[in-house]
Amino acid sequence: MSTCKTLSRISVPTLPQTTTLLKPTHLPLVQRRHESTTRRHKKLLALPEAPSFTPSRSSPTLIFNPPSAAPNVYHTPLKFLPKDDKRRALYATHQAASTQAAYRTHTSPIAAPGTPLHAASSSSHLPPRPSASLPPALRAPYEKKYHLTDKDIAEIQRLRREDANRWTRVRLAEKFGCSQFFVGLVAKNEAKAERVRESHEKARERWGAGRRMAREERGRRRVLWGRDA
Amino acid sequence: MKRVRISRCATQLLAGRTPRRPSCPCAAGLQRDITPHDYRIQARSLSTVAIEKDSELDIGTPDPTSSQPAAAPAPPAIPHRKRLAPEQLPSPHPFAASHSTKLSALRARLSLHQRFPLQTLARTLVHPSADPDPAFNNASLSILGANLLGYYTTEYLLCNYPRLPIPVIFAAQHAYTGPKALATVASEWGIEAAAEPGGEVDPGLLQFRRLRSGSRVPAALRRQVPWKWNVTTTHRIVATDEFGSDNTPPDPQSLSAVPVPMEEAAQSFVRALIGALHLHLGSPLVKRFYRDHFLSRQLDLSTLFDFRTPTRDLSKLCAREGFEAPVARLISETGRASRHPVFVVGVYSGKDKLGEGAGASLEEARFRAAAAALKAWYLYRPIEVTLPSSMEGELDTRKWKPNMVDCGEVIV
Repeated sequence: MSTCKTLSRISVPTLPQTTTLLKPTHLPLVQRRHESTTRRHKKLLALPEAPSFTPSRSSPTLIFNPPSAAPNVYHTPLKFLPKDDKRRALYATHQAASTQAAYRTHTSPIAAPGTPLHAASSSSHLPPRPSASLPPALRAPYEKKYHLTDKDIAEIQRLRREDANRWTRVRLAEKFGCSQFFVGLVAKNEAKAERVRESHEKARERWGAGRRMAREERGRRRVLWGRDA
Repeated sequence: MKRVRISRCATQLLAGRTPRRPSCPCAAGLQRDITPHDYRIQARSLSTVAIEKDSELDIGTPDPTSSQPAAAPAPPAIPHRKRLAPEQLPSPHPFAASHSTKLSALRARLSLHQRFPLQTLARTLVHPSADPDPAFNNASLSILGANLLGYYTTEYLLCNYPRLPIPVIFAAQHAYTGPKALATVASEWGIEAAAEPGGEVDPGLLQFRRLRSGSRVPAALRRQVPWKWNVTTTHRIVATDEFGSDNTPPDPQSLSAVPVPMEEAAQSFVRALIGALHLHLGSPLVKRFYRDHFLSRQLDLSTLFDFRTPTRDLSKLCAREGFEAPVARLISETGRASRHPVFVVGVYSGKDKLGEGAGASLEEARFRAAAAALKAWYLYRPIEVTLPSSMEGELDTRKWKPNMVDCGEVIV
């Protein structure tokens, strides 16, 4: 409905050429072609095929265009290959050859690399540069500092022993700039751990059937992560 | 009819020594050019062509005068012995083997050589539970066959995947040549079991004393208490069988006259067949038989892993090998705020991507990516592998390339 309305509205000024010249109008006097016919719509739908499906040669070739899938674990990464493995040399040769081939093929001087136009005009892709930026890290990378001395550790143990409720693992980790795991390692408070475990147990007893089942299912799914299932 | 002494009958009834080479001098050349349409025929023709040395293929029947290795030690000859009716024998008489169509069909189906005696094939089908006499059952042959199967499988796994952790090797061994796998192989070969063993039964049937339904498995096959409770990996490697069990497997002869399940009898048959093939045809043909019937079974080793703390293992591995510490990076994501988000996380060491995983949460994707990186490490496969068994009896040692030996799995 709306298209008909706009079409009729737009096509009005172009109808009588002579009258529009005489009449003052705000619309510009540009000849417009509208995609109003079936043929033009059909032509628009005829998109060019993907480059991987249109081989450059007329002779029969192999089209290799697999669907996206998880990488094969049987493909050993370059870093995991032993020093004397032949695949290291093969990878290096392939990298050099593909880079040269990519530079040799004629690419459009206008199209910027990385755009679809560039990809369509050049059949080969440049391998990623070594300086290309990596994806963002999930957690901020950190360096282990190993800055705590025996005196600090004794202090941690004293605080934890004296008031375990005040000096929790989180507070001690913040105060001394180490991880909570390290605090638990050097100053384990069995009584506090037991109390916490009991309180958790008490909270778990109040769960209904649905929540309990959901938690158990979650644990079972988590085990499957390591089995790749 | 002249009485045939049992100890000699097996050797007398064997096929005569036929010329191994074809009589026509051009026939060998012609045979090489023919492309057989059947894979089994092809395998057979290849088996005679590919072996250069004549001594390896000497698979003729042994001399009747010399003692046969597979044959039993001769019982003391009794001068006047009553002929027993077949119903009185515990297992079929070896004389019946040459008349059995089932045995001939089985030998043809497995494309075994014509000179593999049917009597031995019949003996491999007799489980100790049917016939307690070690001269007529397959106990000794199955011990030999089990060792050969374990040797070939271990050799294949250790040479082709030198970094596999030992539990995965055990699992792969079990998957290739474990009791269940062997029973499956036997059923695929079309082995049928006799309802009750006896001398009058067709020797082409698997003979064993059946376990009545509802009765307990015999004590030797039951899961036993280990002899000590902390069974270490070293103990599993050294002291028990090739599958890393807690206990040593039961001695085949100890199962004599005890009702056993079908799986036990079927696996003993397959093992005994391998042992008998080794004795009669020699190791090259056994290796080919093993490759065609056991290694050809597809096993995806990457499904045998079970990681509990892959992220920790991976950082230990990187520290051990001197790589940069692994960092998980978010490659792509979709639907973070939706009910079914998908995150694709890669684990990078420096600039190199080690593994990639997808998951419904960031934690899951990171976990799976670390597991994929560890699998990529463990499933490394060298390009050139020389199996030790392929150099057996070789005088020219230049073909030997030392295999890779890895320093071991990651222990956290």
